[in-house]
Amino acid sequence: MYLDSAFISMGDSPETTVHRRSFIKYGGAASVVALAGCTAETDDDNGEEDTVVIGSAHPLSGNFADTGTRMSNAIELAAMRKNDEGGIESLDGAEVEVIEGDTEGEQELGSEVANNLIDDGAHVLTGCFNSPVTNAAATAAEGSQVPFVISVAVDDAILGESPRDYVYRPQPNATQMARDHVDTMPQVVRDLDMEVETAGLFYIDDDFGQSVSSALEDFLPEEGIEVVTSQAIDFGDTADTQVTNFRDNDPDIVISTTYNASTQELISAMDNQDYRPPLLGGVANEAYNDASTLEAMGETAEDTLMTNFALNPVDERADEIREAFEDEFDQSFDANVAMSYVAGEVIIAAIEEAGSTDHEEINDTLSEITVEEHIAAMPEITFDESGENENALGPLFQVQDLQDVVVFPEEFAAADPRL
Amino acid sequence: MHLLSLPTWMGGATGELTVAGQISPLGAVAQVSLPNPGIVLQLIVFGLLLGAIYGLVALGLTMIFGVMDVINFAHGAFMVVAMYVVWALSGATGLSPLLFIPIGVMVLFVLGIIVHLVTIKPIMEAPQENQLIVTFGVLLILVSSIELYFSPDPQNYDLDLGSVAVGGAFIPEGQLIAMVIAVVAVVGTWLFLKKTMVGRAIRGTADNRDGAQYVGINVERIDYLTFGIGAALAGLAGAAIPLFLTFDPFIGDEWLINAFVVVVLGGLGSFPGALLGGMIIGFVEVFGRFYLPGSFYQVVIFGIFILVLLILPQGLLGGDPSE
Repeated sequence: MYLDSAFISMGDSPETTVHRRSFIKYGGAASVVALAGCTAETDDDNGEEDTVVIGSAHPLSGNFADTGTRMSNAIELAAMRKNDEGGIESLDGAEVEVIEGDTEGEQELGSEVANNLIDDGAHVLTGCFNSPVTNAAATAAEGSQVPFVISVAVDDAILGESPRDYVYRPQPNATQMARDHVDTMPQVVRDLDMEVETAGLFYIDDDFGQSVSSALEDFLPEEGIEVVTSQAIDFGDTADTQVTNFRDNDPDIVISTTYNASTQELISAMDNQDYRPPLLGGVANEAYNDASTLEAMGETAEDTLMTNFALNPVDERADEIREAFEDEFDQSFDANVAMSYVAGEVIIAAIEEAGSTDHEEINDTLSEITVEEHIAAMPEITFDESGENENALGPLFQVQDLQDVVVFPEEFAAADPRL
Repeated sequence: MHLLSLPTWMGGATGELTVAGQISPLGAVAQVSLPNPGIVLQLIVFGLLLGAIYGLVALGLTMIFGVMDVINFAHGAFMVVAMYVVWALSGATGLSPLLFIPIGVMVLFVLGIIVHLVTIKPIMEAPQENQLIVTFGVLLILVSSIELYFSPDPQNYDLDLGSVAVGGAFIPEGQLIAMVIAVVAVVGTWLFLKKTMVGRAIRGTADNRDGAQYVGINVERIDYLTFGIGAALAGLAGAAIPLFLTFDPFIGDEWLINAFVVVVLGGLGSFPGALLGGMIIGFVEVFGRFYLPGSFYQVVIFGIFILVLLILPQGLLGGDPSE
């Protein structure tokens, strides 16, 4: 009880909050020991229940409903598989239940949906796909001191703008994705005896696109690549003018950070203007991971080199989970779904390790946890002081025969790159 | 020493002019480049195409306001209904979506009359904000119904139209067809209003509702017809847009915002104003996108919009009784 009070009081000022996560790490063990010594009544207070509730906040209607529904189903699948194994062992087989909230992809609903899920008894939250929505939901979770594990949301600001003690991100953030792309793409291209000295950036004009684009502008010159033009697109627009701009500036590579529809518009406008740069790239661009979108974009998208989080292509368990998802929900399993499943795995591992449904104990565990068994193409997951995954990695894909194939790094590669 | 240079868009493989070595008062070297003529021509083509489509989108909106004084927030939703009607019929029959555009227009004409009967007519004499809120409700109902029935996934007409090259500029065929539809619709509607008895009755009602009633025009019937035609024009615009753009249930909102700007810019109720406003917004958007960073062109659009409202509150061509 003393520790709980201390936690609450320390969250009052940003300055003390910065140190709070350190305190959690170092004091975590002491906290668990202290609580383990409590009476049965205290255990009840700490929420050792028959059911553990994960609140899943995703866009279930609106522009992003297709992706959001599949992401929420991925969390559901992680819970179902855990329940099939007998539930949370450390909680005497407590079942994992997933309750859903619909953010509609709207920033103003992020906080409301998160609060509703907390009111409905969620012990941990996850979400939300759109960065602005995730930021709002994470702020609400932080305020209520409920742990929040980001399923998919790339914007650095979610964890970088103000200190968070209850928010964790297994996937690479915008800066990391851009970093990974700049570290791998030029190397792969140059190894194949091609030049890449200039780049044009094409991004969706929201937090997501702006943050990745900005990081690329910072990093590309380090590899001797000059950004000659940067073009934004809004929802529901054609990419005609932007492609005219690329024609005028003639970059060696056009790197896009957009959602499905805008990437299709880019490729369509290129086809209409009989233009295709020597290289196409992408960062965190779901269009190049989506089979039906790739089919719609056709040959022009072939050979695109793209960085995104990924399902581990050389892991049999990952294959098994992909099949289980497709069988259960009759929906496609892409990188966003894979990362959501990973978020579910992290949450369940933390609850299992905490042996409690108490928010503070789950949060303590998350701050120290190491998740080795997961289906993403990245090393073990463990969080740093800010809540970012220290080993987050965006491998390099290539579109080969209109399928997304991991080509780098070698440990996760399913095929060799080609141009 | 700083190098002062114009943006990269002003340079290019051809037409580059550099004035080097001239020391400005600030001690900087001025580097002046001319735009690539081929690129400028391409932008003009896109400006014309987009402007015509904005004009078409604004047409129905300005007609309903001009005659009935109703600001129709459901205009974008009407467009979306037509998109899905054409797409669904084309998908079900396997025939070209172009064949179903007239059916989409007719469906919207009927839908417009029904919406007027059920929602607008009962509150025709109420304050204008009531009609505004009601049409906003219609928007929500239509968009949510489409989302539920067809899913929110982006769709397209599955047409492989390509483009034609003219004088170094590429004209996407989808946009070209949409522009032809827009021009035919504007001219056709203008002729209908100018040359037919019904058209004169509509113009008379727009000019003076009470006066029209005194001279024997059935104003109630004109309201039905106007709302139906306005919805049909929205349907025509909606059915034409997917010829060059993927669509989803929410795309109407994006077009509606700019349609309002076009209508107010051109003059509420003015047909030529809608076309002129459409062209202005189309050109500002295309050239602004090319020349300015990010979405800054929107600042310019709304800056022009505010300036026009301050200097010419009736819009560029508004307030002319002969329209």
